[in-house]
Amino acid sequence: MAHRRCLHSALLHGTALISLKKSPPLSIVNALTPKPNPVITTSNLEPSWFTPWSYVRHFSSRKSDDSENEAEMEDSSDVEEESDEMASDMVRDYSPGEKEAEAAAIGYKVVGPLQRSDRVFKDYEPVFAVVQIGSHQFKVSNGDSIFTERLKFCEVNDKLILNKVLLLGSPTQTIIGRPILPDAAVHAVVEEHALDAKVIIFKKKRRKNYRRTKGHRQELTKLRITYIQGIEKPEIKTDGKPLKAADKKPEKIAAIA
Amino acid sequence: MESELPTFKEKNPQLEVVTELIRGQHPHLKGFYKNKNERVVCVKNMTPEDILLYPTRLRNALGRKVVKLKTRHVTKHPSVQGTWTTDVKF
Repeated sequence: MAHRRCLHSALLHGTALISLKKSPPLSIVNALTPKPNPVITTSNLEPSWFTPWSYVRHFSSRKSDDSENEAEMEDSSDVEEESDEMASDMVRDYSPGEKEAEAAAIGYKVVGPLQRSDRVFKDYEPVFAVVQIGSHQFKVSNGDSIFTERLKFCEVNDKLILNKVLLLGSPTQTIIGRPILPDAAVHAVVEEHALDAKVIIFKKKRRKNYRRTKGHRQELTKLRITYIQGIEKPEIKTDGKPLKAADKKPEKIAAIA
Repeated sequence: MESELPTFKEKNPQLEVVTELIRGQHPHLKGFYKNKNERVVCVKNMTPEDILLYPTRLRNALGRKVVKLKTRHVTKHPSVQGTWTTDVKF
């Protein structure tokens, strides 16, 4: 505002005053450009008893997106990330079987043949495994059901082999992977592909006349775990109390890399 | 719908697909599950390709009630090596 008044007065009196008033706008522009970028730090989560976990866990970049949206100067980075997501959604035709195997490797599953009157549902065995699917990890035993995100490339009643196994355990032995065990595998059967219950996402800003309602149903896959391999299973003969024997405290914890 | 129905019938020989013409009501799909659960989906004003999505969804799903999940991991034997308490020493 002061500039306009000065310029107006300069026009009336002379041109020498105008040349003086141009310098302050330049100094204001220099002050705006070096805005500090938000610092993104990734922290390492290492629980005390998982000491062999030496790999750094990288978190997703969604937190950095929220902090960048507030800054006005950085718009190009948001546009680039949105276009990357759009490109991955558009590629849907996985015609060759190799591409399906690649995509399955990302979700750590291998699709086996369909089940045709196989005796897959065995009795409970006192063995557990920690298995990772996508970005979620589950402690899994024989006969458990697990709800994961919708797994592509598998129909209902398909056999899956989950090969990213992080830990195997039995009443007498524990095998810890660094970070995965190469020879371990967990067999599972797809029970259903279903939608979760509807979650209503309601956004409101008070006194600003802004209200949005959105419904969302997440697509889930239910897997039933049938078999865990890669560890010696204790042979429990069918006596009167087999389960109480399995709940004994472990005698040894052998860490095998 | 008539174009998609034969292929759907062939892909699912274990299902019994029945078509009925109902007058005075919106067209709908009814799924009958083994646990005596019925699921009705209204398919009014939908193209055959869109309609195909719904019977595949009904076929993929079990007949359990659509409730929010308490846990993503359902197990009958939560502990193998013994539940941890403050008295457990390794």
